[in-house]
Amino acid sequence: MSGRWAELIGGPFRASWRAALGWSIALVVLIVSTVAFWPAFRGASGITQAIDQLPAPLLGAFGLEGFGTPAGYLRGGLYELVIPLVFAAAGVLFANIATAGEEDAGRLELFVSQPISRAAFFAGRCVAVFAWLAVLTLVALAAQLASDQIFGVPIGAGPVAATVVLCGLLGAFVASLCLAVAGLVARPQLVQSVGFSVAYISYLILALFPLSSLLAPWREIAPWGWALGGDPLVNGAEVWRYLLLGGPAVLLALIGALAFDRRDIRSA
Amino acid sequence: MDVKASRATLAPDGPAIHIEDLTKDYGTVHAVRGISLDVHRGEVFGFLGPNGAGKTTTIRCLLDLLRPTAGRLEVLGLDPRRDSLLLRSKVAYMPGELRLPERMTGAGLVSAVGRLRGGIDTRRRDSLAERLDLDLSRRLRDLSSGNRRKVALLLAFVADAQLLVLDEPTNGLDPLIQREFLALVREAKEQGRTIFLSSHVLSEVQRAADRVAVLRQGTLVAVGGVDELRRRARQRVEVWFDGPAPTEELGALPELVNQHTEDHRFTALLAGSIEPLLAVLVRHHVVSLLVEEPDLEEAFLDLYEAAS
Repeated sequence: MSGRWAELIGGPFRASWRAALGWSIALVVLIVSTVAFWPAFRGASGITQAIDQLPAPLLGAFGLEGFGTPAGYLRGGLYELVIPLVFAAAGVLFANIATAGEEDAGRLELFVSQPISRAAFFAGRCVAVFAWLAVLTLVALAAQLASDQIFGVPIGAGPVAATVVLCGLLGAFVASLCLAVAGLVARPQLVQSVGFSVAYISYLILALFPLSSLLAPWREIAPWGWALGGDPLVNGAEVWRYLLLGGPAVLLALIGALAFDRRDIRSA
Repeated sequence: MDVKASRATLAPDGPAIHIEDLTKDYGTVHAVRGISLDVHRGEVFGFLGPNGAGKTTTIRCLLDLLRPTAGRLEVLGLDPRRDSLLLRSKVAYMPGELRLPERMTGAGLVSAVGRLRGGIDTRRRDSLAERLDLDLSRRLRDLSSGNRRKVALLLAFVADAQLLVLDEPTNGLDPLIQREFLALVREAKEQGRTIFLSSHVLSEVQRAADRVAVLRQGTLVAVGGVDELRRRARQRVEVWFDGPAPTEELGALPELVNQHTEDHRFTALLAGSIEPLLAVLVRHHVVSLLVEEPDLEEAFLDLYEAAS
């Protein structure tokens, strides 16, 4: 890698290490603290019986189906909402800080006036964002596998890896949407609003659309569903799920880079 | 032949900067309204005007940070949009509004920019840091605004650039460093580099610049040498007569404005040839005659008043 590219990617990557450390700690704490209750929960059959008596649509909406099983427990406690939400939020904030936030603060001008193309500059920031999401994915995966071992959750590493990677890709998808918006306009509030809205609405579609026979067929439009709609903790994941999240993520980042190349740069 | 290299040598003797009918609008706000000027290679060019006159907008168009609404730009014979990569390798830019990454040290920032430029001369970096009395090991957030500006100055002068574009470079610098800055400008000029210096500090431009352009509300009020601009500005005239001043004769001279008579003393501003005034004076007993050439500040204000 040339010195220029090392700086284009390494600069924004290094600048985000504190935020990445915070997200990593949050992920580890969430995963370990949830899995740590599994031994106590496994023995409390009354709780699972009570949950199983809830109406089926409600169980589906909140990811509580099979809550007494290891996969059901991890889905309901972590992977239905919490972990994907952490990845989506991290993606939004990494993307926003690296692009629109920095531009809005007037800190890009000095760098963009150097002999590098605007598209390359923006692409370097996209790679840095995706790289940190990849690091968080590895951290979450390591924390989950280690916790499963320590607290005796009998679940295969394959489905767990598929689920965590899909959560990471969901974060990358939401981040890339933010990158595309940031490429078009240097408005950090707008970038954040779009990112969080898409993530939240996407979750609602997956959780609530199945409750209505009219809306149920449309649940597949939600990126949240592309990632976790197939219950990867139980079934693993099909290749198309990775492609459906990863492909558009790259495409949206490219759109951001091309748009950034075609507009005015905001000054302080 | 390398296409980029051939573009760079298209007009080796042409102007360093060619601006033709440059217009930049932000919605309904007209920041720059059709300005045209040339900056010669190897000269120090002062770009004067108060805040909001359109200086920074023009500079940012030159560097392809902003896309003009209309007009044509050429910098070092290159199109800022089409040849932006090659152009920026030949240009060093110091932004007026400095926002630096606060967690980095000065040395870290210089290294980062150096990597983006394909390397810097570390001996020159150290020499500049010493001349500017700058501690590069400190974090940028711990530096005063003056010291941050020194970092930006160092970044501009350490680059191996043919054209230095400096936007309000001495804002917040102490007089000693301002003097050092002027020395750096002189050295860069001696090396054949072109310096485009935007400022509202007239004394600084007067000392550094060969030629000056004055901007007002996005339009060019005047372009010329510092001396020429002084000449174009109205001169202050004071005449002492042996008797009462011939106010009727003097009042008939259209070249004299802001006339004021006080017994034997007559004062006015001369806007035009001095000959009609001398023709009147020779018919009277003149005790003393004083014609003052304005300094650049007076010339600047005068040009401004005339334009408004």
